[in-house]
Amino acid sequence: MSKPADLVQGTLDLLLLKLLALQPLHGWAISLRLRSLSGDVLQVSEGSLYPALHKLEQEGWIRAEWKQTENNRRAKFYSLTRLGRRQLESETESWQRLSSAISAVVQLSEA
Amino acid sequence: MRLEHWWFTVPLRFRSLFRRGRVESELDEELRFHLERKTEEGIAEGLSPEDARLRALRAMGGLEQKKEEARDTWHVRWLTDFVADVRYAARSLRRTPGLTAFVILTIALGIGMTATPLSMLDALVFRPYPVPRAGEVVTLVSTSRDNAFDSFSYREYLDIRDQVKSYDGVVAHTQLKTVGFSPQAREIPRIRGALLVSGNFFRALEVEPRVGRGFRDDEDRALGRDAVVVLGPGFWKSEFASDPSVVGRTIRLNGRDFTVIGVAPESFTGLSIFDRPDFYVPLAMAGSFTTNPEKRFFEDRDDRELMVRARLRRGVSFSEARHELTALAKNFERDHSGTNRDRGATVHTMLEMRTQATDHNWKFAVIFTTLAFVVLLVACTNAAGLLLARSRARTREIAVRLAIGAGRFRLIRLLLTESLVLAVLGGLGGIAVGYAGISAMQKFSIPAEIPVRIPFHMDARVLSASLALSVLSALFCGLAPALQSTHVDLVNGLKAADVDEPGRRRLWGRNALVVAQVAMSLMLLAAAFLMYRGFQHSLREGLDFAADAKDHVLLARFDPRLAQYDAERTRRFYEQLVQRVREKLEVKNAALTQNPPLGLEGYDLITFVPEGFEMPRDRDVFASQMDTVDEGYFETMGVPILRGRGFRASDDAGATRVAIVNEHFAKHYWPEREAVGKRIRLGGRADAPVEIVGIAQTIKSDDGPRGSEDFVYLPVAQHPVARLVLLVRSTGDPLQLLEPVRQVVRSLDPNMPMLKTMSYAELYRYAVVTGPGVAVKLVGTLGAVALLLAVAGLYGLVAYNVSRRTREIGIRMAIGARPRDVLRLVMKKGLTLVAIGTIFGLAMGFGVERLMNSMIFDAGGVDLLVYLVVVPLMVLATMLAAYVPARRASKIAPTLALRYE
Repeated sequence: MSKPADLVQGTLDLLLLKLLALQPLHGWAISLRLRSLSGDVLQVSEGSLYPALHKLEQEGWIRAEWKQTENNRRAKFYSLTRLGRRQLESETESWQRLSSAISAVVQLSEA
Repeated sequence: MRLEHWWFTVPLRFRSLFRRGRVESELDEELRFHLERKTEEGIAEGLSPEDARLRALRAMGGLEQKKEEARDTWHVRWLTDFVADVRYAARSLRRTPGLTAFVILTIALGIGMTATPLSMLDALVFRPYPVPRAGEVVTLVSTSRDNAFDSFSYREYLDIRDQVKSYDGVVAHTQLKTVGFSPQAREIPRIRGALLVSGNFFRALEVEPRVGRGFRDDEDRALGRDAVVVLGPGFWKSEFASDPSVVGRTIRLNGRDFTVIGVAPESFTGLSIFDRPDFYVPLAMAGSFTTNPEKRFFEDRDDRELMVRARLRRGVSFSEARHELTALAKNFERDHSGTNRDRGATVHTMLEMRTQATDHNWKFAVIFTTLAFVVLLVACTNAAGLLLARSRARTREIAVRLAIGAGRFRLIRLLLTESLVLAVLGGLGGIAVGYAGISAMQKFSIPAEIPVRIPFHMDARVLSASLALSVLSALFCGLAPALQSTHVDLVNGLKAADVDEPGRRRLWGRNALVVAQVAMSLMLLAAAFLMYRGFQHSLREGLDFAADAKDHVLLARFDPRLAQYDAERTRRFYEQLVQRVREKLEVKNAALTQNPPLGLEGYDLITFVPEGFEMPRDRDVFASQMDTVDEGYFETMGVPILRGRGFRASDDAGATRVAIVNEHFAKHYWPEREAVGKRIRLGGRADAPVEIVGIAQTIKSDDGPRGSEDFVYLPVAQHPVARLVLLVRSTGDPLQLLEPVRQVVRSLDPNMPMLKTMSYAELYRYAVVTGPGVAVKLVGTLGAVALLLAVAGLYGLVAYNVSRRTREIGIRMAIGARPRDVLRLVMKKGLTLVAIGTIFGLAMGFGVERLMNSMIFDAGGVDLLVYLVVVPLMVLATMLAAYVPARRASKIAPTLALRYE
């Protein structure tokens, strides 16, 4: 579909964990937030979003809770667990290692 | 970290498994919420509600698919599939209730038939000793030419204990001894079973007493000093109502006060299979329990009464332990040449101890189990055949499933689930059948003095084995049909209801099944009949006396040591007892014996050297069974003296030493000459000779299935024994003599306990009727069940063929075939299979016969009569099975048959 929205493999988990670390959100809000925070660069299709969320929940990194939204609708809110916070830290660290390594390589000036 | 991880995930998995509905609806709601938001977004952008909704739907790529994707992440797919398969299987099995019931019944019979033999085999061979780390416990045995599993004497045990280094603790115990127990002095003692054990017994076996304590080492040091006793759990319960304050109390055993110091735990049932001791007493107290007054237990190196067990030390190999003991036995032989000549020693595992060549029980268990497995195999073959037929009928259904995209593996799984459901139901039924069989076995009573424990239980081990067998049989029954039926040609499968090409290949499997069934059930029938004939044969000779004695002889056992009699008082007691009983009106005769023929205790062995007999180079002595009897014995028991004379009252301690041997013995050692007047030296070459004064008819002496053996009778006056059985021959019902005999005993000594009293019929029934009866019935049941199954299998096959060929038969009849031709056409096939099966079955029958002959019965050759009975029976039954459906086929009306389908 939309080329720029394709995420680097494995980074969706990291993004979701990060978003949920900031505040509990429901699925729809996550997709909105992701779009706006990344300036429309990152876009996640529903087909990836929900399976990813369920996987994170099965792993015990996030937990789900039915709550009222601001306009009084019932929605499933996801929040980070203690386990998830630890996972976020380790994934963030490895992402930073990876991305700095990649940019170091990419920024090599051609002789 | 890992654990914490599970803490979160496990409940989630369970939630998605068990609360499917809830989880599903939550997922629904979540996605709907998303869809609504997305639609609202579209409306906000100015689309019509309808368009906005469509766009949202498109973007989400279909709700259902999303749900499926989310579901897959739950990792419970295989389980939910399994649950669905089971539901489906149950539904499809319900559609064919008759067939389902038949298959379940078949498997139930098969499994049930194995449960009883398995419980026997487990109890007799495999069940570990009830102690911690039972695998380490080994048995040390003394070996001689005549007895490869001999015990050790007390002196030998002490030497072994102090010198071997391969073990963590070497313990010794006697066989179960009958003791007179009275809770208080003054009470007439009752008979109980006691085990004399070394002081380290409980500690080395790591058995923690339930109440109180086990023995201390110093309680087994000074001979006769520490009269302490540990109670068996069953006895504690029945006699003291499980009262813990029993510790410290005194009880009387064989007339001596013993202090109770502890109670063995419920779990410790002793190291022997059949008996459960009521008491454990230190070896040092053996003086109060001695059975052989001629031997000194603590001194004589050849008074071998002790079973020696030891816990193998960690890191020591079995063969090292064996070498060490063999070397020690060499030292014994060198240092004590008088008592240990030609005597070795070795170490045996539990399995080796329980599978001794001379023991029959475990062999029966092995044979029963093998035969039962064959029955199970027949049952499974039957079930497999039926399932195969069923899957054939479902070809179209399977083809449809394959066509719409079911994986082959998935379908096989579905079909296997069906057979698993069948097998589990059958297994449960089988456990019920087995339970009934085992309870029937437990009712079997053995006329022993101390109650014998029938150790066959439907316990967890047997249960799990049965269930495992059911699952195995599910695989066996289900796999072939499943593989075959998922292998259909799709196009044909969808077109026709029955895709069977007329080729032979497809039926090959079913035919082989029927051949196998016929063969196996023929073998089982032959085995049952052989078992019957074997017993009949072993009971044919040497039982004339018993047929008469059973209606006339009363038995009563005495042991005057229980009333603290010494040897002289014992002699006088028996003398007066026999004399006074003889004076009673209804008494024809009375006598004494150590052990009546067909008795349960087993005879002592004596070693001897026959005079004028060329001893083989490699042996010093021969061994024979022996009994000690008085002068009235042969007449009372009804055993004729063929030549020479019987014992006389004058054969007393002062007279020439005499013996009577049986005819088997006489023929064995003096085949050409007269044995009367010959002499044998009891013990060894150097011992005093005894003269053979008479030859008695050879009788069957024990309840084993073996034929006749050598036997020596010695007069009790020359070889005093304390434990004797009084035999009383009456003119009428022997049990009416019970009261008069009791009066005599009371008049002699009111405190003298009469141990086991019974009519000789009781022993006779056990040895000749019920004992062999149980074996024959068991194998007979197996054979009958197998025959039934084979008949059902054959019937099923022929009926199935007929139903498949209805149209063909119709055509044949329409163009002129007579009913007779049709009958022949249909039956020919069945009978060919029966014929092939019979040939295989005969071969297998011969095999089983050789096995049984070599293991149990002393017989060789082929028992033709067996096959003359069994084969026609088999052929007749199977012909009938084929005839019924074939006849139905010949009655088919052509017009109906052609319209069939």
